Amino acid sequence: MGPMQVDEQDVDDKQKRAASVKSAVDKFQLVPEFLKVRGLVKQHLDSFNYFINTGIKKIVRANDRLVSTVDPSIYVWFKDVRIGQPSEIVSGVSEKITPQMCRLSDTTYYAPILVDIEYTTLGSRSEKTIMQKKNATIGKMPIMLRSCCCVLYGKDEAELGRLGECPLDPGGYFIIKGTEKVLLIQEQLSKNRIIIDTDKKGNINASVTSSTELVKSKTVIQMEKGKVYLILNQFVKKIPIMVVLKAMGMESDQEVVQMVGRDPRFSALLLPSIEECASLDIYTREKASEFLEGKVKRSTFGSPSNQEGRALAILRDVFLANVPVSNNNFRPKCLYVGVMLRRMMEAMLNKDAMDDKDYVGNKRLELSGQLVSLLFEDLFKTLITEAQKAIDITLGRPSRASRFDPTSSVLNKDIITHGLRRTLSTGNFDVKRFKMHRKGMTQVLARLSFIGSLGHMTRISPQFEKSRKVSGPRALQPSQWGMLCPCDTPEGEACGLVKNLALMTHVTTDEEEGPLISLCYCLGVEDLEVLSAEELHTPYSFLVIFNGLILGKHRRPQHFSNVMRKLRRAGKIGEFVSIFVHEKQRCVYIASDGGRVCRPLVIADKGISRIKEHHMKELLDGVRTFDDFLRDGLIEYLDVNEENNALIALYEGEGTPDTTHIEIEPFTILGVCAGLIPYPHHNQSPRNTYQLCRMDTLLYLLVYPQRPLLTTRTIELVGYDKLGAGQNATVAVMSYSGYDIEDAIVMNKSSLDRGFGRCIVLKKYSAIRQKYENGALDRILRPDRTGPGAERVQILDDDGIASPGEIIRPNDIYVNKETPLETGGPINSSADPKDCKYRSAKQTYKGPEGETCVVDRVALCADELSNLSIKLIIRHTRRPEVGDKFSSRHGQKGVCGTIIQQEDFPFSERGICPDLIMNPHGFPSRMTVGKMIELLGGKAGVSCGRFHYGSAFGEPSGHADRVETISETLVKHGFSYSGKDFLYSGITGSPLQAYIFMGPIYYQKLKHMVLDKMHARGSGPRVMLTRQPTEGRARNGGLRVGEMERDCLIAYGASMLIFERLMISSDPFEVQVCRVCGLLGYYNHKLKAGICSTCKNGNNISTMKLPYACKLLIQELQSMNIVPRLKLAEA
Amino acid sequence: MEGMSYQRFPKVKIRELKDDYAKFELRDTDASVANALRRVMIAEVPTVAIDLVEIEVNSSVLNDEFIAHRLGLIPLTSENAMSMRFSRDCDACDGDGQCEYCSVEFHLNAKCRTDQTLDVTSKDLISADHRVTPVDFGDPAAYDGDQQRGIIIVKLRRGQELRLRAIARKGIGKDHAKWSPAATVTFMYEPEIHINDEMMENLTLEEKKAWVESSPTKVFDIDPNTGQVVVVDREAYTYDDEVLKKAEAMGKPGLVEIYAKEDSFIFTVESTGAIKASQLVLNAIEVLKQKLDAVRLSEDTVEADDQFGELGAHMRGG
Repeated sequence: MGPMQVDEQDVDDKQKRAASVKSAVDKFQLVPEFLKVRGLVKQHLDSFNYFINTGIKKIVRANDRLVSTVDPSIYVWFKDVRIGQPSEIVSGVSEKITPQMCRLSDTTYYAPILVDIEYTTLGSRSEKTIMQKKNATIGKMPIMLRSCCCVLYGKDEAELGRLGECPLDPGGYFIIKGTEKVLLIQEQLSKNRIIIDTDKKGNINASVTSSTELVKSKTVIQMEKGKVYLILNQFVKKIPIMVVLKAMGMESDQEVVQMVGRDPRFSALLLPSIEECASLDIYTREKASEFLEGKVKRSTFGSPSNQEGRALAILRDVFLANVPVSNNNFRPKCLYVGVMLRRMMEAMLNKDAMDDKDYVGNKRLELSGQLVSLLFEDLFKTLITEAQKAIDITLGRPSRASRFDPTSSVLNKDIITHGLRRTLSTGNFDVKRFKMHRKGMTQVLARLSFIGSLGHMTRISPQFEKSRKVSGPRALQPSQWGMLCPCDTPEGEACGLVKNLALMTHVTTDEEEGPLISLCYCLGVEDLEVLSAEELHTPYSFLVIFNGLILGKHRRPQHFSNVMRKLRRAGKIGEFVSIFVHEKQRCVYIASDGGRVCRPLVIADKGISRIKEHHMKELLDGVRTFDDFLRDGLIEYLDVNEENNALIALYEGEGTPDTTHIEIEPFTILGVCAGLIPYPHHNQSPRNTYQLCRMDTLLYLLVYPQRPLLTTRTIELVGYDKLGAGQNATVAVMSYSGYDIEDAIVMNKSSLDRGFGRCIVLKKYSAIRQKYENGALDRILRPDRTGPGAERVQILDDDGIASPGEIIRPNDIYVNKETPLETGGPINSSADPKDCKYRSAKQTYKGPEGETCVVDRVALCADELSNLSIKLIIRHTRRPEVGDKFSSRHGQKGVCGTIIQQEDFPFSERGICPDLIMNPHGFPSRMTVGKMIELLGGKAGVSCGRFHYGSAFGEPSGHADRVETISETLVKHGFSYSGKDFLYSGITGSPLQAYIFMGPIYYQKLKHMVLDKMHARGSGPRVMLTRQPTEGRARNGGLRVGEMERDCLIAYGASMLIFERLMISSDPFEVQVCRVCGLLGYYNHKLKAGICSTCKNGNNISTMKLPYACKLLIQELQSMNIVPRLKLAEA
Repeated sequence: MEGMSYQRFPKVKIRELKDDYAKFELRDTDASVANALRRVMIAEVPTVAIDLVEIEVNSSVLNDEFIAHRLGLIPLTSENAMSMRFSRDCDACDGDGQCEYCSVEFHLNAKCRTDQTLDVTSKDLISADHRVTPVDFGDPAAYDGDQQRGIIIVKLRRGQELRLRAIARKGIGKDHAKWSPAATVTFMYEPEIHINDEMMENLTLEEKKAWVESSPTKVFDIDPNTGQVVVVDREAYTYDDEVLKKAEAMGKPGLVEIYAKEDSFIFTVESTGAIKASQLVLNAIEVLKQKLDAVRLSEDTVEADDQFGELGAHMRGG
């Protein structure tokens, strides 16, 4: 009876679960819809579009006038700015360009920056006329692919195909000089926010990094030995904070205490500071100013008149620069300091109030748009100052040409074009104006595999140096949930620092502040201006802080935030505005700044989802879009901070009355790359991470790519099923032949014959027909097919360039080029090119011996300097060989250990024979249960003809097949429920002793192939200087017997072997040594005798062998006035 | 036991025979013999397959090697492969493999002139020898004659062209899988199933049902009339031990006893179509015989295997 009951219960449970799953609305469809709206690299595109449409205009508007200091009536006024069509000026005519053209011809994909200007010109008799000009070019802006100014914008598949672009390519990168460059997302601490933390000495700091359009500064208030100080770059020393407050007009100590709060503990903490101020004898504003004046860093240059009153100016402009000061009213700044002090005190009394720098809510992500905008601002300002200088110089010149047009110094200048191009191509941001010096901001887009490049675009580069040995920033933050992928981070030094965005993450762009501020006041925020210090922290009222700026306080914070949220859900204010009530700090934070990460969530009322079945049906029918969900208040974006005010249920059924939101799909916490792993939630977590690191080392081009039998929802969303990078291999988990130890795999030769793991490697070779200073030109000659060396020119066409489709062997010439002997000197165009003397500069191919490589394509184009550049793409089809590396999708890589004939492979009575054999020892220590389930699911998939799913955390929502159902399918198709098969040995024909776990697993070939690595050398090239063999495979170098190897040989006593390795096979050299003076002599070939040049005779010369490096050392020492003497003895 | 002899005379009983499928029993022999037969069928029965491709024009999306590889894998009818010569020991052409005794020439000439995608299939391969042609899978009953047009080699768009000359040669599956005539060759030990009727009788109908259901393949059934458990399909049993485990779990070990007969095998042979399945078996036996002959010969004299041409090659080439 007992077991039966349990069974019934089980069944009941299952049914209940099934029922609950059914009743819950399947919200999965929202994910593809979201990605349709937002796209996978939408963050980049959005931010770039924002820059193009809004940001650039703001920058130009802020610096729109260029006025001559010599004659203020001469000016250039930039009225409007926009970005034109991507185009290039070819011999005076503007021609439209496409990204593919740029890639092929090594040019930059950019569009002109067009401005409308108004300016004054000076006529010949100095009369001034005001002129207008429309669509004048001031430079060229590299264009992000698929952004709104790109030619690919809004094109459908067929149109994209015509432009030579892959429809699945996500865009989001630039093309600079033919290489695809990604501007990585930069992680930074948020600006204009108070951050409380401790420094190395354990002192509590409150720091604000202020950033406005005008100034960028960092203000630190520090508590040291019980006293509070201000640390600011512009002051030489720490300034007691009370002095600063007094200088800003808060003379009464009582007011300061009130401002911090009436709590006696706070006052006690503040007392030492107040006492210090009193001991300095500073009581008035004037005194304080005087004191500060003495502490200002005196700049060595700058007029002394400027120096007076500098302290106040610093307080006004640099100190807490984000708090505006109007009419020298320092009160907001004082109150801001008050809030900072209060937060410090709180932190001191309660360590929990400390801010966490690694908390994602305190982070901002800088996207390519913002970075380009920064660059542009700098360059634009430089352009204007340069132009102004130029105008002033021209106007100041007494004898200037009669007519003057100021635009000539603004328009068609290369400052912006070159500046942008240089920065994007090197990745070194060196913006002095904003004190930004960062390296490696751009990277060449990883094109090894589709997923690799997608993953590259969602990568976030860290704010810290990689070398820092700290664990904090590397640890997984709970606040990363849903925003940043928990799996996707590299191994090694950048582990945990470099992160990736999750699937549904959105990064905000700046939003207009003005209307939001006035809205806050309308909703009952009491303005800071009218509040007394005492009133600041009255109980039951919360401060309202908008983008780090204290607006005032509100008596009903909960009500206020509810109203704000309602407005947001109704679409009255931007959907990315976040409203966050911080109960502990008694603040309401409102944020509309750019760079916050946020994600969409379903809104729930008392735990009941607002999205109903009919909404989803409308979505499926296409009458409802993602934006409609947003507009109707069914979904909203929450940023990391606001998530703290929400109670988010994972599934609809798990909602309680307190639940405010419901996740759309649990698998969206993972990123694009992690989504490709089936059943990642069954794997040991580092395995997933290892797999992701491997993603970008996949391979070049697979000959027969397949779609994984066990897919995930992410795979479908990303389009990986259309651009697979692996094959479904039938894997038998067993031991075979001993060539499978240490993760090696045994492969079936027949499978390889039939195309498993075959891949195409493409390599680019290029040659340039250079034009020289003197007008001489390289020439490419028709090959001489008769003379000596004719066999090396076989593959050349009559034009002297290898023809496509030809098999190319090592030492074949692919471009029959000659360069002129004389390249310098003046241009002599008159001279007949035939008179020039040329020397051969044939380009020869050096590839692996004995492999058939083929010239795939030959492209001719003009490079930036309009030289003819020839590019050859050489293709090599490779079949797997022993030593090639393969990997499943679970971080389990292995090299091919041996290749075995099919007839020797085990087979089942159904005739199934595995493609590869994997050793079972790969499983226990790695705990990749996901791989086992993948095998089961794949096996069920092939037998029933339906792709099975393995999305992360997908079992409850039906996006991952359960093992029980898979087993049922297997049994239905005559397999064992466990996935094990009864196999016979292919060698003996007798049954194997155990059942073998066998089924399809998706395998990918990695780029590490033996052919690229194998290396051996007999004799070969030597280094000129030391005459020792060269180093490295690329130079056909020797294999070094290093220090440790040498030690082994010494210990073993193999002296002759050491002698051979270190001397005979390396750099033996015969020298003449004088036995008298011990110096090196030389061999005189005429006299046929060695002569010592020091003793001037040849009487006591001995000939000996020593390493050339030793001889070199002796001579180098001699050149430094050190005389090494050799004392010879008879051996 | 005077006349008792351990000599055995293997017997073959054919169960099912189609052009590309054969199922037969092999009795009274050992696993070694059965396995040898299987191995020879997979790896050593010669067929003809495209081995050399000279591409004249290829403006298709696939590259030359890719197409060459695809061409190689197309099965060609190789009824006369046994009598053909290996090109490496063909006297007529000094081993360059271009003569009529050891090779067959194919031509392919396709150009797409319409807006519709043109499928270039194995049917477009024109053979110089009518006996060696791409295998025709056209099963008029199953498909409309036009739709199934052989094996697709490449698809062409308007203006693309493929023109090539290919040479097919004789070879064996050991060298490359394209020469293997077998799609599937497998065998199983014939199972012997004894149901302990006495114990079975004691089971309730539910228990019987549960027990019968426990086998993933349909081996047992319950006679609807008598309620007795009967063996329906002995060979459906996959040696999965599920029924034994179930019996043990039910507390009735020994409910059924299953043995594998060590001396009888059930073969399943599927051919790629290069040769008929029946011919495949016969050729395999022939090759096996030749190999054994070669062994005997080499005992006599090492030089002798030069006389046996192909056979010698087998011996030397392994």
